[in-house]
Amino acid sequence: MLLAIVVNRLAMALVTLAGVAVVVFVLLRVVPGDPVAMMISPGAGPADIAALKAHYGLDAPLLTQFWIWIKGVVTGDFGISITLHVYVTEVLASRLPATIELAVLALIVAVILGGGIAVAGTLMRRTVGEAAIDGLNSILLAVPDFIWALALVLIFAVALPVLPLTGRIDPALAQGFATKFYLAESIITFRFAVAGNIASHMAMPTLALALPLAAVIVRLLKQSLKEAMVQDYVLLARIKGFRELHLVLQEALRNAVGPTLALTGVQFTFLIGGTVIVERIFAYPGIGNLAIDAVINRDFPLIQGLVLLFGLIFILINIGVDLTVATLNPRLRHA
Amino acid sequence: MFNVTRRQAFAASGGLLATLLAPQRFALAAAGNTLNIAYNLPLPSFDPDVGPSSVNPTIQAMYRSIFDQYIGQKPNLAFEPGLLTAWGWNDDKTKVWMDVRENVVWHDGTPFTPEDVIWSIQREAKPDGGNPVSFIWAGIDSFKVDGKRITADVKQYDPVIFKWMAFLTGYVLPKAYFEKVGPQGFEKAPIGTGPYMVDAYEGNAYLRLKANPKYWGGKPAFETVVFKFVPDATSRVAEIESGSSDITLEVPYEEYDRLKGKAGLQGVCTPISDIAQIFITNGGVMDDKNVRLAMCHAVDKEAIVKRLLRGYGVPIATLEAPEYAAFDPSIKVAYDPALAAKLLAASGYSKEKPVKFTIQTTRGFKPKDYETVQAIVGMWRNVGIEANIEIYEIAKHFELRMTHKLAPAAFYNWGNAIGDPTTSTGFAMFSKSPHSAWHSDDLDAKIGPLWGEKDEAKRIQGWKDVDRYIAEQGYILPLLQYAQPILYKSDLKVIPNISGALQPASLVSKA
Amino acid sequence: MEHWSPTSITDTGTQPHSVAARLARDPKVVCAGGFILFLILLAIGAPLIAPKDPLAQNLLMTTVPPVGFADAEPGFLLGTDGLGRDVLSRVIFGSRVSLTVAFVAAGLACLIGSLLGLMAGFLGNVVDALISRLVDVWMAFPPVLLSILLVALLGTGLHSVIAAIVVIDWTRFCRVVRTETMGQAQMDYVVAARTIGFSRPSILFREIFPNVVPVLIALLTLEMGIAVVVEAILSFVGLSVSSDTPTWGGMIAEGRQIVHEAWWVLAAPLAALFATVVAFNQIGDGLARSLDPVLRR
Repeated sequence: MLLAIVVNRLAMALVTLAGVAVVVFVLLRVVPGDPVAMMISPGAGPADIAALKAHYGLDAPLLTQFWIWIKGVVTGDFGISITLHVYVTEVLASRLPATIELAVLALIVAVILGGGIAVAGTLMRRTVGEAAIDGLNSILLAVPDFIWALALVLIFAVALPVLPLTGRIDPALAQGFATKFYLAESIITFRFAVAGNIASHMAMPTLALALPLAAVIVRLLKQSLKEAMVQDYVLLARIKGFRELHLVLQEALRNAVGPTLALTGVQFTFLIGGTVIVERIFAYPGIGNLAIDAVINRDFPLIQGLVLLFGLIFILINIGVDLTVATLNPRLRHA
Repeated sequence: MFNVTRRQAFAASGGLLATLLAPQRFALAAAGNTLNIAYNLPLPSFDPDVGPSSVNPTIQAMYRSIFDQYIGQKPNLAFEPGLLTAWGWNDDKTKVWMDVRENVVWHDGTPFTPEDVIWSIQREAKPDGGNPVSFIWAGIDSFKVDGKRITADVKQYDPVIFKWMAFLTGYVLPKAYFEKVGPQGFEKAPIGTGPYMVDAYEGNAYLRLKANPKYWGGKPAFETVVFKFVPDATSRVAEIESGSSDITLEVPYEEYDRLKGKAGLQGVCTPISDIAQIFITNGGVMDDKNVRLAMCHAVDKEAIVKRLLRGYGVPIATLEAPEYAAFDPSIKVAYDPALAAKLLAASGYSKEKPVKFTIQTTRGFKPKDYETVQAIVGMWRNVGIEANIEIYEIAKHFELRMTHKLAPAAFYNWGNAIGDPTTSTGFAMFSKSPHSAWHSDDLDAKIGPLWGEKDEAKRIQGWKDVDRYIAEQGYILPLLQYAQPILYKSDLKVIPNISGALQPASLVSKA
Repeated sequence: MEHWSPTSITDTGTQPHSVAARLARDPKVVCAGGFILFLILLAIGAPLIAPKDPLAQNLLMTTVPPVGFADAEPGFLLGTDGLGRDVLSRVIFGSRVSLTVAFVAAGLACLIGSLLGLMAGFLGNVVDALISRLVDVWMAFPPVLLSILLVALLGTGLHSVIAAIVVIDWTRFCRVVRTETMGQAQMDYVVAARTIGFSRPSILFREIFPNVVPVLIALLTLEMGIAVVVEAILSFVGLSVSSDTPTWGGMIAEGRQIVHEAWWVLAAPLAALFATVVAFNQIGDGLARSLDPVLRR
């Protein structure tokens, strides 16, 4: 049953998260450079350094530090960020929505674009059209997101200054939001001018993230579709007289979508964890940008919180994908 | 469920599309009353006295917009009254006195009092408070207030104490408000006495400030200032080129040259109080004076500035830039590769049998840092030094420096907004400072007495002598003084700040 | 009479020689394969082929355009970069790093991942549970953060780049191989072999593994393309090879800063990177196509 799947996965999730917590904690203290070294300034003596270390709780033995942190995590207290001076949970809660909106938008664009091209390719199979699509796709697969970002900046900054280059929203418009999900909230509350402004800010980072994902979707979905198109049930439908488009969309797609869905789920987690460079280039205030600064400044509590958060998101998305695939394919419900 | 009619949906998508495609006009800045700055560093925390951001020179521009310092600093590094209108020592240099400015209010309307000054100093003096230079502030205590005058005892004479009040972490915070809301509350709604108040803040995105009408220094030129945080240099260039921002800084010199003459834009690029140097760590091959001096004489600093930095920068021979108090133009280290080769030969090295060591550098942290080191390594190769480049990031540099484990040569920069020799040569070369790489007793003996020297003229001359000695011994390789490129729309007037802090209140106005 | 073994009854024509023959008839794969071969030769023979020393700086000849444009210098076919170094030579030497990363990193990830995947898929139960748990924990880490932390730990250098790629991508191989192995392990020929009395390791390596190999190779070639791109990303962030050695990613990062003044410094390594990844992908695609009986129609 679906419930059994969810319970099973959640139990595994706890074990996984525990593993992640231990690994990141140890890794950070092994990596050279600690936050105190980053902030001591001219003239600080050994006593001052020791005092600073004590202030941030970095002088206790490793196990004690870990225990203190874990106790906090279990009660929802991830500690205070060393560089930002606010609770880690608050910082994460305030930055995550931006990245989620970006990732979801990129996913939607990638699915529509990728799905559309895959269907078109299947309709045109064994013609020149398909060869062209294959060729284009293999080129798209080779272009990483930061190159797209670069190309987009060149086009829209210099050639056609139509889109804003950085940020998430015009600072003058960022008032009166109850949540941090600016785009969703502005659409739901019918503030379309504001939504348009946000969308225009998100256009380029979304494209930079969506295009590589779309290429992956095209390749996998087209393959699955072509495999499905030669199955008997499609042949039966063809004999019955259904048109090609109907065959592709109604018959083949339902059975072919499984592996693509699973892969898209995985890619989506990479998307959330992989917006780092795109966010940096477009100065988009999500958790990717936060992560870079946290690592540069060795802000231990923040890095630990970020890694746990990514882990949690990854697990949740996996569960979601498993559920979706099981729903679509009854045979897998008892796996 | 709500029903959206077809017409509404059409209108909505039309509106969306229109806003999406509305062309960005290259609007002139002075037309409106808002100044958009594309800034290169984000503001991690609003507390200017505590934590890692408090010692970052570039962030001071934002802090000085919201808060005031005890003592102010003009763009030419000269000091002027801030929240203290007058200050000084008593005759035997055991006490200090400070006169506090009157008729100043905090952003929430409450009056500014001498209590705030005392509380701020005491807060910064706490060794576990997180202030990176707490030992400086801890040197003042036993405060007494008489009207607008504060007197305090000083444990030992520190000639630089008042300069620190214009330097990093020298800001006054509100005692009553801070104690009421606590540190986290202060982060969410900070108040100061400065020319601008915090209107809105989104981490890693922007800081929107609105003018403080009751500012003691007069209302600033722009009603609203927006600091947009754009850490990527190419994106900053795109921001100014497309007109999305009115002013930006720290762009690649090539881009600065390309854009400064463009229609609608102007640029200024002048030296700032930030120098590039190569730390030399004692031990191993570096104990050989011939090697050290050869390293210094083989570098063509003029060529580096002219070719790599497009002429923007000033070669230096000591850790004192021309604007600093202890700058001595008579100290010179000549570019002489023949001499360098001779010195190396005296120690048995040559181009065929080079001396080998590692040089560490950052990459992309300062303009052309990596390329500069590559060029230097090339110059060294020609005289008989084979240096192996190792890239590290800033965190590792600080850790290694603190534990005295830097490579024999390490490239880094050094900012010194107050221009005093203690905060450049002193902290960089005194072995008891955690920031020095060269540790030797002869140098310590020369520097030691200067910390508490009461005669100012003697003190400055003493530091000049120390710099000359360092140059003769080759204990460090100073390279150049950086210049800060600023690009802005042509209807603005910008006064560059030698400290590198681009403060909108006092330095940017309409042309 | 050929030696009777279960595989010769049930396999559907995956003998090596017919796969190679099929590939040789596919023009895209031939082109791609040829390009990779050319690149390998270039990398090995770089010191002899490159016209200039890739490290030789000339501060008087910075950002010279490629031959054919105004102000070009003869001898610098693709122009010079910000330190006056020959772009063409640097691209040629950069292929060494990219190909090393591609083969070594992808190869190691493949080796480690497949071994663990084979074990998990075939031995099942506790071993499978442990390995799957390990993969889950591993994959729950955000890849970019993990690689930044890793490089900070190991210091910049070729070994760190390779380690970062291996550490992050071995899970990909593990999962695929595990699934394939589990699928194969249930097939009739394996059951037959077990009944007849073949030992488990012998079944694993002589029966199952050869059937897993085709998928593995297709994945491996794709992984090589990915490895090359990851090196470029790490270079872009400043975390790749630390010495003077030119890398395509490093050249892209440098060229990006001066793209308006000297577009060739960015364009040359970008084109090389591009062509290499496309070539790897084409080979991988060709393999997938030729190995899949359904798609051959």
